[in-house]
Amino acid sequence: MSTDIRGWVPVEHRWLGLDRRQLKPAIFVLVVALLLIYGWPALNAVVPWDNPIKAGDVLDLGDGATAVPPVGWQLEDGALVSDNTGVSATRDTVRLAMGGATINMIGASFDGSASQFLDQVILSEDPNANISASPTTFTTASGLVGVVRTASGSEGDELLAAFKMSNTDPATAPALLVDVNTVPGEFQQYSGEIQDLLRSITAGANE
Amino acid sequence: MTVTGVPAKNSQLTAIEESGWGERFKLIQPHNPAFWVYVIGVGLGAVGLIKYFGPAFGTYRLAVTSGIIFFGIYLIPWLLFLRRQNRYTAQPAGLLGAGFLWGGVAATFWIALPANTALLEIWTKLLGPTGAGTWGAGLSAPINEEWGKALGLILLIALAPRLVRSAYDGFIIGAFIGLGFQVFEDVLYAYNNATSSFGVGQLESSLFILAVRGFVGITSHALFSAVFCAGVMWILGRTPGERRVGRGVAACLAAMFLHFAWDDAAGLFQGVTFLLIAGPYLILMPLAIVVLLVVRRLASSKERLWMRELLAPEVESGVIDQPLLDAVSGLHKDRRHFRKLVHSRRRARHLIESAHDLAQEIATSGGHETPRVAHARAEVLRLRGGPALAAPPRPLP
Repeated sequence: MSTDIRGWVPVEHRWLGLDRRQLKPAIFVLVVALLLIYGWPALNAVVPWDNPIKAGDVLDLGDGATAVPPVGWQLEDGALVSDNTGVSATRDTVRLAMGGATINMIGASFDGSASQFLDQVILSEDPNANISASPTTFTTASGLVGVVRTASGSEGDELLAAFKMSNTDPATAPALLVDVNTVPGEFQQYSGEIQDLLRSITAGANE
Repeated sequence: MTVTGVPAKNSQLTAIEESGWGERFKLIQPHNPAFWVYVIGVGLGAVGLIKYFGPAFGTYRLAVTSGIIFFGIYLIPWLLFLRRQNRYTAQPAGLLGAGFLWGGVAATFWIALPANTALLEIWTKLLGPTGAGTWGAGLSAPINEEWGKALGLILLIALAPRLVRSAYDGFIIGAFIGLGFQVFEDVLYAYNNATSSFGVGQLESSLFILAVRGFVGITSHALFSAVFCAGVMWILGRTPGERRVGRGVAACLAAMFLHFAWDDAAGLFQGVTFLLIAGPYLILMPLAIVVLLVVRRLASSKERLWMRELLAPEVESGVIDQPLLDAVSGLHKDRRHFRKLVHSRRRARHLIESAHDLAQEIATSGGHETPRVAHARAEVLRLRGGPALAAPPRPLP
């Protein structure tokens, strides 16, 4: 006669107080979950980036807006004009990486000036970040006027640049944030390429 | 006391044994290793959830709270709808709640979030940013998310092996796991959308996400998981005659394909402007609903058979007549036919519900005569307005 009381595990099925009969599904779930959680990142770690910017490449920032990225940097996110993908100026994202430096470009919808946009970005992301008190003006080659602020700390250096993507009606135009991060001591090494990138930003065909 | 034949009674007892209907579900089972894996999954998922939403409660508080409120309200009609689908040998609420929690917390924040992030980056490296933008989501989510959700079903089988038996059990539990995933992911989307505008117009942003995700949610995770988990049950074949590996694999692949097609609709329909806009709604949504209906019909066949066998002695003794048996154990068309037969939607609903109550009481009592079974039987007879075939019920304990 067998015991059939709820929760009673027959002695021959016990292992460390656990019901051995349910070990198989439990281990199966654990293994598959761990494979998904850690297997993909492990594979990702061994697959190298191989999408370098070539001479002549131009970033598509949406609605005809463009920027010229530094040659040799890896394009990890974003589209080139040659891709013809139809980027939205208010939703575009670009990520460039080189050594210990990354450049993120994010398009957004924002009513107001570039300065107000940058204030909103700082407020939303980290109001207590060590952002320098004095914003400076930056003018691109095409005449777009942006605002730049920098931060420096033990984790590295950061540059935030905000633009409104129109010379004629900046208040209602899409906004563009350029966020540059470098590991400590490397900002100077890339500053020339970063300046060239910022200077190359154009507002688009409608301007 | 009703008099029934031996074969019918034996079939009834077999149906009770096979279906496990009437078993109670208990989540906390310290002796069961599946319980500890469930705790690890939901626990680490909760940590992931807090880490993800923690910073949001500063600047993005309005987006997150409005997202929770909006999608909390959105959840209500879903629960009412799925409650109606939880028919035949219905699953207990605790089991479905455990599935919902796995889908919302463990599958989303423990598995899908880190897995999708890594796999999307792999696709970006292999296909380039543009190729990954077009195909990456559809090549990542169906793998990580469908599997992540289905793992919850495997754990629930181990936690309630007698309760989770048929493909229809997988269908219903999968729908609840998927619903949990969907609602938690929707709140995540509400937060993400607010961050894309750096916190400007958070309430409008959440309303926008509610409108978009709420509508497309009709043929989203709840549907994908219902189909996928029914497929898992066919592969496992946990009841006699229900092991259909080919059908199960086909159902799993169909769910993954629908998920892929929905995520990569822009890639599938590229080049045709009309389809780019209307394709997901005119092609993919109807296709998903057809797949769902076919799988639901096939998955319910075993449960409908159990219901017939469970009530067979009651049919023999005249408590339940053939049309009522067809309605309570049948498909939508059988219930519609029954409504026409009794000339009253309300009366038909009451009769079907009372017959279901009787089946449930018989299953819970293990086929024995109890005051509750007698009462349920008397209720059927009262509603039918027929002769009192059963003895007057004893008062309920």
